[in-house]
Amino acid sequence: MGKLIKNELIKLFKKKSIYIALIVVLGFMIFSNFMYKSTNNVMYNSYIYSEQTLNYLQEELDKLDPKKTSDIGMYVDIKSQIELYELMKQYENGSWQQQIINQDLPTYFKEKCMYEYGEEKDLQKAQEAQNKIDEIKQKLDTDDWEYFAQLELQQATEKLANIEEQIKNTDDKKTLLSLNQEKEATLIDKTIAEYRINKGIKYGQDYLNQAIEDYRYAAQDIARLESSEKELSYEEQKRYNESLNLREKSKYIIENNVDLNEMNLRRVLENFFTEYGIFVIAILVMIAGTIVSEEFNKGTIKLLLVKPYSRTKILLSKFITSMLMIIFVVLIMGIMQLFVGGVIFGFDSLSAPVVEYNFNTNSLQEINVLVYFLIQFLAQLPMFILLATLAFALGTIFANSALAITISLLGYIAANIINQLAMSYNIKFLEYFVTMNWDLSQYLFGNLPNMEGMTMSFSIITCIVYFLIMVIPTLIIFKKKNIKNI
Amino acid sequence: MSTILKCENLCKKFGKKQILNNVSLEINQGDILGFIGPNGAGKTTTIKLILGLQGITSGKVTINGFDVEKQFTKAIEKVGAIVENPDMYMYLTGRANLKLVANLYKGITTERIDEVVKLVKLENRIDDKVSKYSLGMRQRLGIAQAILHKPNLLILDEPTNGLDPEGIKEMRELLIELAQKENMGILISSHNLAELDNFCTKVCIIKNGSVIETSDIQKIKQSDDLDTKVFEVDNTKEVEKILLENSDNRDTPFHPDNNSTDKKLLAQNVEIISSTKFKVHAQKENIPEIVKKLVENDIKIYEIEKEEKSLEDAFFEKTGGNVIG
Repeated sequence: MGKLIKNELIKLFKKKSIYIALIVVLGFMIFSNFMYKSTNNVMYNSYIYSEQTLNYLQEELDKLDPKKTSDIGMYVDIKSQIELYELMKQYENGSWQQQIINQDLPTYFKEKCMYEYGEEKDLQKAQEAQNKIDEIKQKLDTDDWEYFAQLELQQATEKLANIEEQIKNTDDKKTLLSLNQEKEATLIDKTIAEYRINKGIKYGQDYLNQAIEDYRYAAQDIARLESSEKELSYEEQKRYNESLNLREKSKYIIENNVDLNEMNLRRVLENFFTEYGIFVIAILVMIAGTIVSEEFNKGTIKLLLVKPYSRTKILLSKFITSMLMIIFVVLIMGIMQLFVGGVIFGFDSLSAPVVEYNFNTNSLQEINVLVYFLIQFLAQLPMFILLATLAFALGTIFANSALAITISLLGYIAANIINQLAMSYNIKFLEYFVTMNWDLSQYLFGNLPNMEGMTMSFSIITCIVYFLIMVIPTLIIFKKKNIKNI
Repeated sequence: MSTILKCENLCKKFGKKQILNNVSLEINQGDILGFIGPNGAGKTTTIKLILGLQGITSGKVTINGFDVEKQFTKAIEKVGAIVENPDMYMYLTGRANLKLVANLYKGITTERIDEVVKLVKLENRIDDKVSKYSLGMRQRLGIAQAILHKPNLLILDEPTNGLDPEGIKEMRELLIELAQKENMGILISSHNLAELDNFCTKVCIIKNGSVIETSDIQKIKQSDDLDTKVFEVDNTKEVEKILLENSDNRDTPFHPDNNSTDKKLLAQNVEIISSTKFKVHAQKENIPEIVKKLVENDIKIYEIEKEEKSLEDAFFEKTGGNVIG
C-alpha cells in the first residue's frame, strides 16, 4: 500500500497541471495582496468636503431668487451648506476640524442663514449664531480638540442626570421604556466621550475613530436588542452575537491602540480560508477528479490493475493520495501567502495575535495567527474532504474527469446558495444536508451554528454519513468494473 | 513441462451479447502460443479475462495454480502483460515508467532496469519522455515493463503494432530467447499472421468468441493430406487439358493397378500461374503419374517444388475469411 501511494505521489508531482494551477494562484495572491495594501491608504480617506459639491451648490444657488417667497426655504438651506463647506475648505482634507465642523456646526449655520435671509429677518440673532461659530472656529484653529470631547462628555452627563430625574418622576410604563432607551444611548455617548478623553483619541478619520463609530453602532444595536420585550428570534440572537463581537473588538482596538483591521500579513493569513478557499477546493477537486479517471482515459489503469495488488488497495491508495493532497495544497498555498504577504506587508504583524470574542467564556481571546490558521483549517477540513471525495467518486464511477470537476465545483457554489436559503427561510430539514454541516467554523468560539439546535458532533456524524455514502459505492463499482476497450 | 496458464470454458457476456463462448487454452513452460483471429473475435476480451481486467461470466482461469478470480494477487504475481496498446505514462520518461513498475515488485534493482532496457534496445532514448517516443519505441518499453519482474507468463496483445521489420525480427528473437532460456510461457495475439509463422510453437484460432482450433503449428499447416506442387515447365498451354482429360478418360487404363476412382482423383485441380508455371493439388502417390503423363506428352519439366502452406492460408481456411460478427 505504501508503495502504491508513493507511486501515486510520484505520478502526481510529475504532472504540470498542479504547478500551473499553483502559479495562477500565486499570481492572484500577489495581485490581491497589493490591492489590500493600497486599500490601507484609502480606507479612511472618505472626504466630507469636495470642491465639486461646492461648485454644484453655488450653481444651484444662482438659480434661486431670495426675494421670492417660494425660493426662500431652499435658498437658506443651500446658502448655509455653502458657508459650511467654505469653512471646511480652510482646513486640511480629512482633518479632525472638518469632522467637527460637519458634526457640530450645521445647526448654527442654518440658524444664521435663516435670520439673515429668511422671512423673519433678525440680524441680532444672526450675529449671535455667527459669534457661536467664531468661538468654535477659534478652538479649531488652536487645535483644541479636547474641548469638543469635554463638551460631549459634559453634555452626555447633563443629559443623563436629566433623564434619571425624569425616570424618578414618572410612573407611565411607556414613557419609562423610552426614557430607559434614551438613557442607554446617552450612556454609550458618555462612554465614548470618556474613551476619547482618556485615550487621547483626536477626532478625524483613522482606525481609532472607526473603532469608536463601530463601538457606537454595535453598542446601540445591543441595547436595542436587549431592551426588546419579545424573546429574540434565532436570527436576532445571531445578530446580537455579531454586534457583541464587534463591540468587544472595537473596545480592544480603542484600549490597546492596535489596528486589528489593518491589512497586513497577520490579517491576510487570518482570512486565508475565506479568501482562497475556492482555490484550495478547485485544485483539490482537479487532483481528486483526475487521479482515477485519467488513468481510465489514457489506458494506463490496465498497467496498474495487472500488478499484484487488489483493486481495493489500488483505489484506496489513490484516495489516500488525494486526501494527502489536501494537506499539501493548504500547506503550499499557506507558505505562498506567508511569503507573498511577507514581502508586500513585512513580517512584523505576525507577532500580533488574532482577536476573537469567545461566547463560551464571554471574553476576548488572543490567538497566535498560526494556531488560528490551523484551527480554521481543521474546521474546514470536512468540507475539503467531502468535496475531494465527491470528485474522486464521480471520476471513478464515470471515468470522466471533466464531469467530476465541474459537478464538484458546482456543488461548492450551490452549497452557499442552499445554506443561505435554509437559513433565511429556516428550512428545518436542511440541517441534515451536508453543506450545512461541513464547515465546522460555525461552532468556533462558542458561535451560534447555522441552525438552532445543531451541534458539532451532529455535524461530524452527518459528514461521516455522507462520506460513507460516496465512498462505499465507489469502492464496490471499482471492484466490479470491466475494463473496456480504450 | 508444467502448465502455467490454463483457461477452462471461458464465457463472457455483456448484457445479452455473448462475447466469448467456452474458450479453453493452455500454455506450458516454453510455449509461445499464437492467439489469432479476425478483428472482434474476442482475442483482447480473452486476454482481459485472463488478467482479471474483466469479470468472468463462467469458466475458470488458473495461472501458476492460482485462480485469477479468487487469488488474484498470487495469480498475477508472475505475469507480465501488454493489453491493447502499450499505454504508458506519457509525461514521464521511459526510465521513470520502469521505476514505477519496479516500485511495485520486490527486489528489482537499478541494474535489472538497465539490463531490460538493453534487452529491448532502448538505452539511447530511455531518459526521454514517452510522449516523444514512436509507437514502436512504446512497444519496446511495453515489453520492458512486462518482463521487468521476470514473470513466467508473458501476455502480449498485438505487440508487433508499429514495429518496423527489423524491430519485429528483434522482438521475435527476444521472445524465442525468453521462452527457451527462461522457460517463460508466452501468449501473443496478432492478426499479422506472417509474424507468427515459424515463431509460435502453438496456435489457437478464435472466431466469433469460440476457439476453432488449438494445436501445434505444424499440425495446423498440414491439416489436410493433399500436397500442392508447383511445376516449372516449358509450356503450360496443354497441361490442363492433359491432366484433366486423363482423369476424365476412364477407358484408358494407363496403370493396371489403379481403379477408376483413383484415376479420377489424379489431380484435384490444376491452376495455371503463368506460361511456364502451374500448380497441382494432388495426393502424394499420384505425383509420379502426373510427371509420367507430362513426360509422355513431351512437356519439359525443369523444376517441381513443394508449396509450403502459410499460417495465413490455414487461418483463412479455418475462419472463412475476415468477417466480423
